[in-house]
Amino acid sequence: MELDPHVLHVAIRWLHVAAMATAFGGAVTVLALSTRPDVDSAGAALGVAVRYEWLFWAAAGVLAMTGIGNLAAFGSGLLGPATSWGMTLLLKLGSVLALIVLSLPRTLAVARLCVSSGAMADSVVTLRNLYGATAGAFAVILALAVWLAHG
Amino acid sequence: MGSAMKLVTWSLATFHATVFVLVIVLFAYSRDALGAGLSGLNTFVGLGLFVALWATTYVTTSRALQGLDLIGSARDRSGYGWRAFRWGAANGMSFLAILGIVAIFTAVSNTRPGQVTSGILLPAVFIAPFALVISAAVGGVVGLIFGTIDLGLFALAGLNEQDAEPTV
Repeated sequence: MELDPHVLHVAIRWLHVAAMATAFGGAVTVLALSTRPDVDSAGAALGVAVRYEWLFWAAAGVLAMTGIGNLAAFGSGLLGPATSWGMTLLLKLGSVLALIVLSLPRTLAVARLCVSSGAMADSVVTLRNLYGATAGAFAVILALAVWLAHG
Repeated sequence: MGSAMKLVTWSLATFHATVFVLVIVLFAYSRDALGAGLSGLNTFVGLGLFVALWATTYVTTSRALQGLDLIGSARDRSGYGWRAFRWGAANGMSFLAILGIVAIFTAVSNTRPGQVTSGILLPAVFIAPFALVISAAVGGVVGLIFGTIDLGLFALAGLNEQDAEPTV
């Protein structure tokens, strides 16, 4: 039995959106936890950050895989890079690449905080900066994705 | 330290697989060659190839980082480049082996039984050693490039201090 290609493409799109929601929502959650002023929540924020990093990289792989699947759905009808849509796609792909490259130092920094016995107050500031930047980058990529889908 | 290094392994493996694919996609799209390239690729095959690349990269990254403490030891980080080259070559060969097996099965299923040996298996046996050498070379170079980028990103994360001198 042949699988309807439309069903397959909808499933891939659903997976893409779910991965984006996980990665973006998780970054906002860690950011929100690290803005709480008390020291007790610093340890909790770091614990959530470590769990988020596992999820983030799983989501990054799924986003790359399903993103290419979404582009494949266009087939030879994919608009070229010289069009306005194509330039936005190039900008989005470049932003995604930059976010992934700069996420590795974030993960390493979180892993380092996890094994170090430094001051929790400093850890919270570091987490706030790291996840503020990550959430901001995701917001820009989401805006570009919405423009590509509906603009 | 164990769980932190497991996280580092997982993040490095996924980082390498996704950046490798994204750079190819960006390059192909900027040359307006992506649509034509993807339209000839079955969706399941495309997804399967990415998962295969992800899996082989995870296995080879795990082996490359075995026994290393990249977070705590500058000495371990200094030996990382050579391991990235060696295990990058292994990753190139592993991925090619998966590609080759899939290609051979597909070709065999679409060929008359009488022509399988002379038309598919013999050419595959002849081409395989050359393809493995080329894939090892390409994988090694890609591994070396990623090893260099990784060391730069380790430094950006503040992992560039020297090990503390042992105290008596």
